[in-house]
Amino acid sequence: MYGEIGNKLVQHAKRTQSLAHLPPYQTELVRAVTREVRDLDKDVATILEPFAGSFNPSAEPATACALLVNHLCMRRDKRCLLAYHRTRTDKLEEMCWSGIDVLERQQQQSQKGAGEGSGAAMGADGTGSSLSPEEEEYVRQYSDLLASYKGQWTDIDLTGSLEPPKDLFIDVRVLKDAGEIQTEYGAITLTKNSQFYVRQGDVERLIAQGYLQRLS
Amino acid sequence: MDIDDLLAEVAVDTTPQETRDLQALTRAWVAERVAPEMLAWPGSLMERVLERVRRQIELVEDQTGSMDPKTNFKLIVIQTELERFKFLVRSFLRSRLRKIDAHPLHILALHTDADEMHPLLSPAEHQYLTSHQTLLSTHYASSFLSQFPSSLQRLDDTTGGISMVDKPDEDAAVFVRVLRDVGEVAVEGTEKRFEMKRGDVWKMYDITPGVAGSDRWARDEGQNAVHSGERTK
Repeated sequence: MYGEIGNKLVQHAKRTQSLAHLPPYQTELVRAVTREVRDLDKDVATILEPFAGSFNPSAEPATACALLVNHLCMRRDKRCLLAYHRTRTDKLEEMCWSGIDVLERQQQQSQKGAGEGSGAAMGADGTGSSLSPEEEEYVRQYSDLLASYKGQWTDIDLTGSLEPPKDLFIDVRVLKDAGEIQTEYGAITLTKNSQFYVRQGDVERLIAQGYLQRLS
Repeated sequence: MDIDDLLAEVAVDTTPQETRDLQALTRAWVAERVAPEMLAWPGSLMERVLERVRRQIELVEDQTGSMDPKTNFKLIVIQTELERFKFLVRSFLRSRLRKIDAHPLHILALHTDADEMHPLLSPAEHQYLTSHQTLLSTHYASSFLSQFPSSLQRLDDTTGGISMVDKPDEDAAVFVRVLRDVGEVAVEGTEKRFEMKRGDVWKMYDITPGVAGSDRWARDEGQNAVHSGERTK
């Protein structure tokens, strides 16, 4: 009661910040905090009921204090929930920017989880995904938003590298078969363990996705 | 006006627009990255730069495939320059987006207050901000907020003396490089006075109206008298 569960959520959020992956969504905790807010609100209503809208705080300092505590707790709970969700959406947005297909990865993970028959590390609700359904929807829509914003800057490639470019051409080694890619100098077939001297702009995406490795 | 000013003016007139744009873009990029507040969108500059980037890309596309070694060499130079320009623009846009994502409601309010001739955000950025904010509030609402008592559902609540709208740290120190002589500046409320000369680098806390001499800032702002993290209000 009084913000304790909210605090747990914040601790989860804090932990999430330093993790590479997204831990399972705390459905139970979120529900519990929401319930707490509703209970507190009901409390407030019950306390205020006998006064019939003519409550004078200075006449009843004890009641006023109880009300204040309830109000502050509700706001605190709300803040904890917002912080928790925002931390997670930030993380998801970051993944969208770095070109990770979050949803696909989730599916793979849940399949793997089902295959091993162990749901221990999976979501608390047992569906196997560490995203809540709302979060999945959010990722989908944010990717669309990102795509449409990026579409206005096609010449610039917004998701490109944020390292200042040094060389136009770089040496890369192929780590995974990536098929054929088209460049201005013709098509190249990227087969595993081969090495190429290619234009950085052409392969940036593949490096980010882990198909190629840059050789310095 | 002394000899440095004269020289500076002559130099500005003879440098071509392209070079000045590159300088302006670099400055805008540096300033955007160090300033805690969002800076105004340099609309006409960006238009010129993007137009040039587009032309260069076309040129490169036209001429690739040519077997002439001279053209090929020229193309490599052009492409290298192009990559650098693209990096500048990309990093500039991304640092603006980072600010938009961090303080959406605050920036939206500033944008609405800004005059139409000097908008804070580009139309695309404005659209991104509003769509992103809608997405976020829908997400909050469907995750938990819709089950809250209606008085607690707002995202820009200011009751209880705490505003929900988060702001950047306006007291963060910024580095400032003086591009033209400013003269003596006094810090209000203190005995401190100092001389700002062209080429100086200062670390300061606040360049808002209220600092004596701010009229000079206002006057010179358009000509980038002080840049690299100038504080605009």
